Amino acid sequence: MAHTTAGARGATDEKAPDPPGRPPRSRASRAARACGAREAGGRVPLRHRLRRDRVLLLMVLPALLLLLVFTYVPLIGNVVAFQDYDPYIADNAFQAMSQSPWIGFEHFRHMAEDRLFWQAVRNTFAIFAIQLTLFFPVPVLLALFVNSFVRPRVRAVAQAILYLPHFFSWVLVITVFQQMFGGAGLVAQVLRDHGHDGFDLMTDPGLFKFLVTFEMVWKDAGWGVIVFLAALAAVSPELYEAAAMDGANRWRRMWHIQLPALRPVVALLLVLQVGNALTVGFEQILLQRAAVGPSASEVLDTYVWNTGLDNGNFGYGAAIGIVKGVFGLLMVLAANKAAHLMGEQGVYKR
Amino acid sequence: MTSNSPSTGSGPDRRTFLASSGLAALAVAGGAPLLTACGGGGSKNEGATTGKKLKDLLPAYVASDLVAPDIPARNGSAAGFTKALPAAELKTSVPKKLGRGGEFTVMAPIWGNVPKQGNPYWKAMDEAAGVRVTWQNQQGDTYGQKLGAVLASSGVPDAVVVPGWELTGKIPSAIANKFADLGPYLSGDRVEQYPNLAAIPTGAWRRSVFGGKLRGLPMPAATTPNIAPFYRTDLFEEEGLEAPTSAQEFYDLCKQLNAPGSKVWACGDMTWAAWNIFGVLPEKPYYWQLVDGKLVNRYETDAYLEALEWSRKLYSAGFVHPDAKAETGSIGDLCAAGKVWMYCQDLSDWYGKAAVQRVEDKKFRMEAFDYFAPDGGDPTLYARPPADIWTFISEKADERTVRDILALADFTAAPYGSKEQRLRMYGVEGVHHTYEDGVLTKNGKGNDEVFSTYEYLASPAPFVAYADLPDVTRGMVRWQQRQGEHTRKPLFHGMMIIEPTRYTELNAEFEDLEKDVVRGRKKVSDMQRAASDWKSGGGDKLRDWYRELLDETGDSAA
Repeated sequence: MAHTTAGARGATDEKAPDPPGRPPRSRASRAARACGAREAGGRVPLRHRLRRDRVLLLMVLPALLLLLVFTYVPLIGNVVAFQDYDPYIADNAFQAMSQSPWIGFEHFRHMAEDRLFWQAVRNTFAIFAIQLTLFFPVPVLLALFVNSFVRPRVRAVAQAILYLPHFFSWVLVITVFQQMFGGAGLVAQVLRDHGHDGFDLMTDPGLFKFLVTFEMVWKDAGWGVIVFLAALAAVSPELYEAAAMDGANRWRRMWHIQLPALRPVVALLLVLQVGNALTVGFEQILLQRAAVGPSASEVLDTYVWNTGLDNGNFGYGAAIGIVKGVFGLLMVLAANKAAHLMGEQGVYKR
Repeated sequence: MTSNSPSTGSGPDRRTFLASSGLAALAVAGGAPLLTACGGGGSKNEGATTGKKLKDLLPAYVASDLVAPDIPARNGSAAGFTKALPAAELKTSVPKKLGRGGEFTVMAPIWGNVPKQGNPYWKAMDEAAGVRVTWQNQQGDTYGQKLGAVLASSGVPDAVVVPGWELTGKIPSAIANKFADLGPYLSGDRVEQYPNLAAIPTGAWRRSVFGGKLRGLPMPAATTPNIAPFYRTDLFEEEGLEAPTSAQEFYDLCKQLNAPGSKVWACGDMTWAAWNIFGVLPEKPYYWQLVDGKLVNRYETDAYLEALEWSRKLYSAGFVHPDAKAETGSIGDLCAAGKVWMYCQDLSDWYGKAAVQRVEDKKFRMEAFDYFAPDGGDPTLYARPPADIWTFISEKADERTVRDILALADFTAAPYGSKEQRLRMYGVEGVHHTYEDGVLTKNGKGNDEVFSTYEYLASPAPFVAYADLPDVTRGMVRWQQRQGEHTRKPLFHGMMIIEPTRYTELNAEFEDLEKDVVRGRKKVSDMQRAASDWKSGGGDKLRDWYRELLDETGDSAA
């Protein structure tokens, strides 16, 4: 069995490398590239490596520039977390930063006492936990399901149906849910027609966290299938044939071939997911905030939006952002460590 | 006035509620009498400007009436015009083009699709006013976020429209920092070069003083309540029902009408009507009253809790349409479709719904009923500010540009019955509208292009003029006048007050809490706890701050 796993993983590595030259979209592919470069080019001088990879580097350049302009330059803005920042006292953001008074860790002190902040933290974690248990496994199961279709046409139709909701906007998704599960929706009306009381899933604060996960599954689980299907496609058919020769039935083959093939991808995505634990959805939740109230629905991102942008308390919003970022980093490191301990590669290798 | 004002859901949050409730130019005629005031305000941007200092800033008022209204303004209502004149009888309000062909950019909210640059309507307006405007229209419902970002950048447009409900957080201080002092152009007799601006009621100008300077070009508004409780008069008559006259009657009526089994609910969210029924004090900064010489805040009054409790009862009894509870969809449209019996919304819905529905159903009638005190009898209503939307001019604009913007504002402020006003509201005859048998009809192109952006630049004293639906015009103005009889001025009425920024978040929680309480997610006692937190968390200090202001200005409500 160990052999099988290793073989499957080897196959994945060989058959699904990043297409050369594609700008690295995810941290995972960047990390993979970095690892590859070190292994392959450890002894080659830098100058030679630059020359050898110049086409690839050129192709990476636009992405790097985007990263610089939209990720690294804005990081400078984090200084406002330590200021009583007023963007309107000067002509542009940098002048305003230089003129706003410094207040040290005041925002962070305030955060510790801020009841609404902690309420947002609690909601964020609760939604994260529910998403992790109820959302995360769905694409894996769907991938196994879709992969089991032999006829290409059936498979294509299934994939199209699964992918479609991903392209709906959240406004539309929530409207569809309101029409189905709202107090004046289809389900409620059918129940009333049969003499039951109405039913209103959309305004029930107690079920809200499940509702957002449910919506997310409907909208995005199909889309999440792609990466798993790719991993499954990379499994050598010989493995199935060999297993079948050995008398393994369908379930056995799934257990011993397909699931192990998915393991590295699952581990990788899990680590990334954990790093994003405090990012549980923004637009989706903001749109439904009024329906269930902030006690059930306020998460860190919507709280930052409301206090930081809407009420103009930019410094405090930035301070929460910093806390969120540091926490996310720690979570990635911890999850990655856990992945290493379990023998997986995780996001990066030491 | 144009029917492109959006119809909204039952009541999204306060900003979007106001933002989307249309801002039809229903507004004040005549304005409020001058406050007796004295002393000066606080630091550069905080506080209010009062007394002689304020008087010196205000433009001199010179009335202008081209056409006598069919229903003259009374009790703070708008004036009503029920007839549309043929183009030949229209008067000229701006005899000489004041604009000198300057180019400038204007950022303004829009509710609907943004018309193409250079469309015939904008061209005609520019040509007539002698300017060249580059519009930067932003969607009205999310205007606040755009505004915050634009004001923080170095690229502030030459003129920026700012609605009063966006004056949150640090925006008021931004206005004082980023926008020009118009005093040198408009204060006192200087306004005479712009006769239509001189005819804007003084009350509206008083609300346009920010950080000690006259900075805003106001869009005057009626001081009567803007939120009206609507019901389908035609359906009520069919059923032999009458509009409710007390809080209990309203409840009983709901009980009788509510039929979720047939997909019909008794009402939408009535919280905003409840504020008026229970005589709750208005919003910041007019949220104080004097009780035995002591300032008491809206959040500390019994009326506030009673209004919440009553609205909550409507929810818990199941009378409120589920879409209103979830804040999705348009309750007004549901009412127009007969799925909801009563709801409350901006008064402009009266015309908005009738204009759409009467195309199919000539007998359609949706009217607002009069407010009542909880136990019946006369309600206690508070006057609305006489202006709640302004246009500001960038500090960086040179004099020539400022003059051109003022020229356009003078043009857009032309009164009813003028050629200028006809062009602004209906576009070009034959292109955007037709006139036949006394009825003005906007065509498809008119509806696509003639949007109500120009009127935010400055408008005349408020009026309602729907010649296509004279009964609606009469109904709306008379409703305002009847409510106006019971309208009193809150403390600090009509003053532009900017609270110190350290208090800006003090009230932030209440809006969410109000919704939680009426929808049964929190108890009324939670609200009482919030009110005591408010007191200890800065409310008492804020009270002292207002006390000082009151000592300066005098008890204007008395």
